[in-house]
Amino acid sequence: MTRTLLTGNAAAAWGARLASVDYVPAFPITPQTEIIETLAAWLDRDEMPGRLVMLESEHSMITAAGAAATSGVRVFTATSSQGLLYGMEMVYTVAGWRAPFVMVNVSRGLASPLTLEPDHTDIMAARDSGFLQIHCASCQEVLDSVLIAYRLAEDHRVRLPVIVNLDGFYLSFTREPVEIPEADAVSRFLPPFDAESTRFSASAPTSQAVAVLSGTPYSYFRYECHLAAQNAITVYDEAAAVFASVFGRHHEAVEAYRSEDADIVFVMIGSFATKAREAVDRLREAGQAVGLVRPRLLRPYPAEQLLRLLAGKRGVAVIDQNLSMGMGGVLHTELSAALYGKPGAPAVLLSFIGGLGGRDITPEEFYEIAAVTRQAAEDGVVPPPRLLYSRDEHREVTKLQAIAHTERNELESKP
Amino acid sequence: MNESRFKRMKDLPSTHLLGSGTPMCSGCGGLEALHEIYDILGPKTVFVNAAGCMTLLAVYPFTPFRGSWLYTAMASAPAGAQGIRDALDILIEQQRLPVEEDLEVVVLTGDGAAYGMGLSSTSGAMERDLNFLYICYDNEGYGNTGQQFSGATPHAARTATSKGPHGFAGFKKDLFSIWAAHKPSYVATVIGAEPLDLARKIEKAMQLKGPRLIIALAPCPTGWDYDPRESADIGKLAVSTGVWPLKEYVDGRVVHTKVPKQRQPVEDYLEKQGRFAHLFEPQRNEQLLQELQNSIDSYWAEIEH
Amino acid sequence: MYRIRFHGRGGQGMKTASRILGSAFFLEGFDVQDAPRYGAERRGAPIFAYVRASRQAINERGVIHHPDLVVVADDSLVPVPAAAVLQGLDAHTVTLINSHTSAADWQQRLNLAGPVLILPATEEAEDRAELPFVGTTCAAAAARLVGVISRDALAEAIRTELGALGSQLVEKNTEAALQAYDLMEPHAGTVTEGKAHSASGYARPDWIGMTVEDVDLAAPSIHAAATSVEVKTGLWRTLRPVIDYDRCSRCWWVCSTFCPDSAIAVDADGRPDIDYDHCKGCLICVAKCPPHAIEAIPEHLAQAAEETNA
Repeated sequence: MTRTLLTGNAAAAWGARLASVDYVPAFPITPQTEIIETLAAWLDRDEMPGRLVMLESEHSMITAAGAAATSGVRVFTATSSQGLLYGMEMVYTVAGWRAPFVMVNVSRGLASPLTLEPDHTDIMAARDSGFLQIHCASCQEVLDSVLIAYRLAEDHRVRLPVIVNLDGFYLSFTREPVEIPEADAVSRFLPPFDAESTRFSASAPTSQAVAVLSGTPYSYFRYECHLAAQNAITVYDEAAAVFASVFGRHHEAVEAYRSEDADIVFVMIGSFATKAREAVDRLREAGQAVGLVRPRLLRPYPAEQLLRLLAGKRGVAVIDQNLSMGMGGVLHTELSAALYGKPGAPAVLLSFIGGLGGRDITPEEFYEIAAVTRQAAEDGVVPPPRLLYSRDEHREVTKLQAIAHTERNELESKP
Repeated sequence: MNESRFKRMKDLPSTHLLGSGTPMCSGCGGLEALHEIYDILGPKTVFVNAAGCMTLLAVYPFTPFRGSWLYTAMASAPAGAQGIRDALDILIEQQRLPVEEDLEVVVLTGDGAAYGMGLSSTSGAMERDLNFLYICYDNEGYGNTGQQFSGATPHAARTATSKGPHGFAGFKKDLFSIWAAHKPSYVATVIGAEPLDLARKIEKAMQLKGPRLIIALAPCPTGWDYDPRESADIGKLAVSTGVWPLKEYVDGRVVHTKVPKQRQPVEDYLEKQGRFAHLFEPQRNEQLLQELQNSIDSYWAEIEH
Repeated sequence: MYRIRFHGRGGQGMKTASRILGSAFFLEGFDVQDAPRYGAERRGAPIFAYVRASRQAINERGVIHHPDLVVVADDSLVPVPAAAVLQGLDAHTVTLINSHTSAADWQQRLNLAGPVLILPATEEAEDRAELPFVGTTCAAAAARLVGVISRDALAEAIRTELGALGSQLVEKNTEAALQAYDLMEPHAGTVTEGKAHSASGYARPDWIGMTVEDVDLAAPSIHAAATSVEVKTGLWRTLRPVIDYDRCSRCWWVCSTFCPDSAIAVDADGRPDIDYDHCKGCLICVAKCPPHAIEAIPEHLAQAAEETNA
């Protein structure tokens, strides 16, 4: 076991290397490219077995990944943002093939306007696809999650592709100490991929991904996909338990940080959740009973765990780094659905949108979120969703607009 | 290259591998070509299909194939072939799959995918020197959606989206040359109506490695508007009028495999199809007919030169 | 509400029939729904189209399960289970069949609870996939049977739906249609509006709690070869190729090579055999047979002859 400084991207590449992946269909995109560059370098130097093929688009890359997985080899691939969307037809398609492989997505805001900075709107677009999703808050978690993801994807009870998600820049290009496990420890955790009957060979003619022409078989295959995804809750728990016994690191489906005795709880995913963790400690020092609940697993949705961890809380603040146009934050929407009508559901569930396109969330903002949530709990009145955005920021945009020679016309509101 | 085992018509297979009972239209020229091709290829194949008429060859739980099949999407069948080919190679290399279990990977798409949406992934596969076969059944339009014009539609043809008095204003894209420009191992045109020429080319393609691409002109009773019984005759006419040159690209050279000695006038081909009826009725469009004849003549003038 | 289903083959104009009837109802002030139902089926394959018409707004959608009128453009489809012509018929349903056979014969054969009417098949095309005006005459007969559509509205509907084909075709179709309309005069109003679906005393849906199944079952994969032979595409056939073995020259199996559907097998002696379970009747074999040893005969006549022989 080596402890060393790794970027999130390098940690992802190490996860693939330790999983002894056979095949890496690739396509470059910022901020993911370092992952495939790292793997390409190792493969070139024969430091790992396997084969990397550069496709001409993410659409082709995901097609090749799914096709290789349905042929019986262990496949790893990675993408980000616009690339994930360009391949989106195949994201949905290969999940329906029940092709088990792992894809790392390095989250980055979506166009338009084009940006390189991170948020989670890209990965939310894949949430209904059949891919399972594991969200990471540290570089160590990236490496560990890739290994867990293979166990999950290849488990006979699941057989679905898995996305391991990490934030662009905040994890992808950030170095942290990471423990790189020994290969033999990994082999104790992750057996070789047995594709069973999901493969092609001359003596066993197989037609895969066959079309259907009516709602009856269609409903069956789609719903089975959903049930297999739900199966993954139990399988994840098992995998995380074995992982902890082999490597000593715990990656429960939902992380609960000082939430047990908290009356106010933050709910977040991804690397900014460590900022929330920090804010919890400071608020605790200030005498406030605040905690954090962070789903690692977002698909399947760990509804029962979340209900258990949030039951009886006075107030919950969901901080979404994504935006569903015309609706709001996706995590808030989903959590509302999971808690609605359930005994012990928290009295108030507030929505905050922040961190879009790499915009920071400051400690003061976390403190204020806690305060606003506490006030809402006391008043029993839930304020409308709040975008974390200051007067100074708006002033800055105004200056940009002046340079861009845009005219400011106030929106007319009719009485 | 070994000598062909297909010297005369009697050498063609008399039993057929492709299962009957497919939902392809009655008299489908594409299916005619495919079943001839499949007899030569055999069942040690995995077909990687893109959205098009032939997506419906395999509708759960029915397949006409005696080998394997994977449906992908309209744009990326060659990338699906890449994934399967690489996986099979890896499995063989790791001795997880006996060599005799290996499969020939065959992309199967219509002209809509081949000439348009799938061109980028085809180009990519050739650039990576992928060892695969590509079969395009070219019925010169988006047939499965009701024959709208595609990049493969010939000049002047009436389609569901070119119903005006002059038909389709564009020109059929020269996919053969676009493919050949990539310098793959093999490119050929075939047609079901010339089964001996077709058999020899598929046989040759199977003896080669690397990217091998075949365009089969697919007379289409539904989209071209003619009686299904005429499918093979119209196919013959496509060759004898010089509309569909049978040729191959191999070792950096283009060779015409069947040069019609006395080319029939293109009219003989056009007048049999409803999609060209506006060239003859209500009155003959002499100018357009001449244009079409001229473009064929100038093609062959260059070849015969 | 009137609920009407048209059954025919791909190419016989069932969509047009539903649109003509839909337009005619609409011209008479009805709220209307008309639609074809497409599958993977092609020319010659059984297809259907349907029309709903009501004086009130229509909230129903999709396939008609309990029709007031079923119109069958091609009587060879009636016994074909895949065509589902007889699905959901009850005592209230009128069945109109375009046929040479009498209503009494059909009634006896089918043992239907509701009345059977015949639209006499006038001109017999060699190829039933190309019956002249069959869609239009079916629509016209249906228009008369419901009793609420005038001759004028019918003619106007035909002009609306077929106008793009040119005035000559419109005229011919109108003539054929009005003839069919007048023929149905004695039965005008036989088809009446069906009752609305009842919410009391309904049959409870037999829902099950779906459980997760093994991925080998639950992925859309086929683990077998050539299962398509179970699909009897011979049903599409309106013309049947018949080999005259005295004339067959046992050539290089031209018929078998060109048959797109692998429906002609050749034995060791070079004798071809047509698989009528799968032959779609494209007749490429008829066109290509070097000694002209294959003849096309109308499928319904071939079937009738088979029945007589049996």
